[in-house]
Amino acid sequence: MNPTQAVAALLRAQPDALFVASLGTATSALRSASDDGPHLYMGGSMGSALAVAMGVAEKRPERRVVAVLGDGESVMGAGSLWSLAGVRPANLLAVVLVDGHYTITGGQPLGVPAVFADVARTLGLAAGVAGTAADAQRLARELARPGVLEIRYDERTWPGPSPFVDAPVVRARFEAAAAP
Amino acid sequence: MTEVAATTWQAELARALADGGVEAAAWVPDKRLAPVAEALDALAVPVRTLTREEECVGWAAGFRAAGGTPLVLMQCSGLGNSLNAIGSLVVPYGLGFPLILSMRGALGERNPAQMTLGRTAVPMLELLGVQVFRLRRPGDAGMLARGALDVADGARQLAPIVLEPELDLAP
Repeated sequence: MNPTQAVAALLRAQPDALFVASLGTATSALRSASDDGPHLYMGGSMGSALAVAMGVAEKRPERRVVAVLGDGESVMGAGSLWSLAGVRPANLLAVVLVDGHYTITGGQPLGVPAVFADVARTLGLAAGVAGTAADAQRLARELARPGVLEIRYDERTWPGPSPFVDAPVVRARFEAAAAP
Repeated sequence: MTEVAATTWQAELARALADGGVEAAAWVPDKRLAPVAEALDALAVPVRTLTREEECVGWAAGFRAAGGTPLVLMQCSGLGNSLNAIGSLVVPYGLGFPLILSMRGALGERNPAQMTLGRTAVPMLELLGVQVFRLRRPGDAGMLARGALDVADGARQLAPIVLEPELDLAP
């Protein structure tokens, strides 16, 4: 499984959800898998994407929301797992794409344990680990919310589209997609 | 400082923000901001306690991008924790919201550790291209709240209301 296939599985599982993607691989993979759909792509703000998704989920409780996060992103913003467990949005799934490396900066190793589902369970969140696209699709549909889905993939291929998004364009397209 | 005077401007600020359309707020707890948060809660505006100020900024950016009017409350030291989220998300994406910034490290401060961020908080915002609005007189709280909401909603800018120490210092 490569990151685009992982994100494609999420899109199949939750085609009507609002998606937020962290910078780098997650944004490139979501752009690739969704044909550059109107999602909220982060061009920067590393560590903030789960918090952004929590804000989206709070404003649109009637919509399902999926945060697509890198593993480096998720350890930088690890406190947001605690916030997810505290606020408990009933419509939010946090997905961590785990390859153990900081891809956007040149592939340096993560350097810390990639134990997102274990931490989530300890925090009282629903959690699962997927190693195949089929498992990712099933768990993205079945996991209770708020939940954390760790997707482990071994093909560290760059998805393709640029992660350097045009911020006002991203915002305007997402506003339209999120409007009631 | 009397409890009644402190409650008055803080309650007026909360009332004007809620009346102006603020739907939800996020904060990291702060003693001086607590009466504002309590007043918001009493006005049925949920106040989310998050772990770090940078998260509050991200949360508000997402809430705004989804079409809402959020509010963030933080102490000025928390601004130091938030600079990248402001600089690489709020400003370039045009996701404006009011930010109540409680100043430490200013007139009357007794903690040496607060002074540096107190001195640099507003200049840092200005370097990021963010215009600040200073609240010094208790009677101006409602006016500043309404004006900041216009800047956030209409002009799509982050709109910090800076709570200056003069609000609570005896003349």
